[in-house]
Amino acid sequence: MKRPSPRAVRWMLIAAILVVWEALPRLGLVAELLLPPLSKTLVALVNAWPEYMSALFVTLYEVILAMLIACGAGILVGALVGGITLLRNVFLPVFSSLYAVPIVILYPVFTAWFGIGSESKVAFAGAYGFFPVMLSTAAGIRTIDEQLLLAARSMGATVPQQITRVIIPASIPTVLTGLRLGGALTIIGVVVAEMLTSAAGIGYLVTSYRTILDSPHVFAGVLMILILSVLFDTAARAIERRTLVWQTAGRRERASSKEDKATLAMPAPA
Amino acid sequence: MANVSNVTRLRETPAHTAVEVSNLNHVYEGREGKVAALEDISLTIEAGRFVVIVGPSGCGKTSLLMMLAGLRRQTSGTILCAGRPIVDPDPERVGVVFQEASLFPWLSALDNVEFPMALRKAPKDERRRRADEMLNLVGLQGFGGRYPHELSGGMKQRVSIARGLVQDPPVLLMDEPFAALDEQTRMTMGHELLRIWSQTNKTVVFITHSLTEAVYLADEVLVMSARPGRIIDRIPITLPRPRNYEMMASDVFGRLRDRIWQQIRTTP
Ligand SMILES: Nc1ncnc2c1ncn2[C@@H]1O[C@H](COP(=O)(O)OP(=O)(O)OP(=O)(O)O)[C@@H](O)[C@H]1O
Ligand SMILES: [Mg+2]
Repeated sequence: MKRPSPRAVRWMLIAAILVVWEALPRLGLVAELLLPPLSKTLVALVNAWPEYMSALFVTLYEVILAMLIACGAGILVGALVGGITLLRNVFLPVFSSLYAVPIVILYPVFTAWFGIGSESKVAFAGAYGFFPVMLSTAAGIRTIDEQLLLAARSMGATVPQQITRVIIPASIPTVLTGLRLGGALTIIGVVVAEMLTSAAGIGYLVTSYRTILDSPHVFAGVLMILILSVLFDTAARAIERRTLVWQTAGRRERASSKEDKATLAMPAPA
Repeated sequence: MANVSNVTRLRETPAHTAVEVSNLNHVYEGREGKVAALEDISLTIEAGRFVVIVGPSGCGKTSLLMMLAGLRRQTSGTILCAGRPIVDPDPERVGVVFQEASLFPWLSALDNVEFPMALRKAPKDERRRRADEMLNLVGLQGFGGRYPHELSGGMKQRVSIARGLVQDPPVLLMDEPFAALDEQTRMTMGHELLRIWSQTNKTVVFITHSLTEAVYLADEVLVMSARPGRIIDRIPITLPRPRNYEMMASDVFGRLRDRIWQQIRTTP
């Protein structure tokens, strides 16, 4: 028997989860208040569609602004901290420890400073997503193979050329990973912030429906955020793959060892 | 007439000296104080010669090569290349091939070879033509579109050689270029290098730990002492050219290799 591809298994798993989601409450194994069936959730979503759309619009707007802040500031600070030894020695340990702090504890401070509107969400989620972007940018620059810089210098590269033609392309893979992580964190940051204190957005809808024990509407919001996060991650991965065609060695390990054998079979140069 | 040309010849003598190092010393200032790495190195390398440098590990071979390449400044002494001092890397006078894969993984083989010319903003079609020519020279026609991770170790070093030659420098410096390769590939690459060398008339300065490789490739082997590195012997390799693998089994080959080994073994 042929084994199914990982892709097929993945889709089967998702289908299974959806079926279980429908079946558990229907069969009375789980109370509908705790888990409403998928169908009821979808009905709730469709019935309150305009409400969810305007909430999604607010959330998206906050997420995009927060991502711009996290990525812009993260790359800028990361490049400085990674590239300049003095800054690195002073700040890198500080930033690394800050990354471990649950910044959500500071959210009340953000609302005090920025109010309960979108600004506090954007600022909070921006700060939340900033750390992985900044840390991986710094790591990407710091871990550049010295040999590559030496080679570039031997070919007469000026310092600006070393930056644009070696340091930047060499650190792109790590930076992109940071952007994907940071982007995911800004989504989390925005939703958490909306759930804590706010008057708009999907997170707000979820909390307010929860307080009136309207489970289908709660899960409709959960479903939207789920889809939003998965879409973001898929898009981010697609961008990474397209940018890093040259770096597929890891993923294509087996393919390339096959190729090696092919090269051996061919009268190819050593 | 004959006299006149003689005079010009005499005045041009430095042009026949590809590299001239005089009284070069180098001291590293490390954390544990000063380390004398190179001591009073003087050498003259004639144009078109294949010179191999051997010596115990840590004796300063790489340091010397970095200075020849303008990548590091010596503490004292001068290095002349094509009659002018080397102060900064100058890819039009000196090409460098390093041991480890120093190809840029995000560039195709062709783009890697073009890289030095791209830095100089050479016109696109000239760059392409020249890089293609170099890939052909090193036996990699048709592989220009591959990324480094799609090439074998030997092929990567071929690309590195093509890159070192793309600006047509008179001198090519190589720091253990085949050390990371397996024995068979290494032999093939050595032979290939001799072919490329004979086709391009470059002056090659080649560092290696392999005595067989040294004798097989060289016109002349320079033996360095343990740190602080000095040149303790200069052994002309009289084997005829073109070299072939059968020569490795000859008495002359064995004697030359032994002589180098004795020198290295007894270096203080
Ligand atoms: N940047 C540096 N700072 C301080 N000391 C150094 C530095 N680079 C090299 N050295 C020292 O200088 C000496 C010569 O180093 P070098 O790398 O030139 O030796 P080598 O002959 O190339 O060795 P190997 O055969 O192992 O490649 C070594 O003892 C090394 O520890
Ligand atoms: Mg060395």
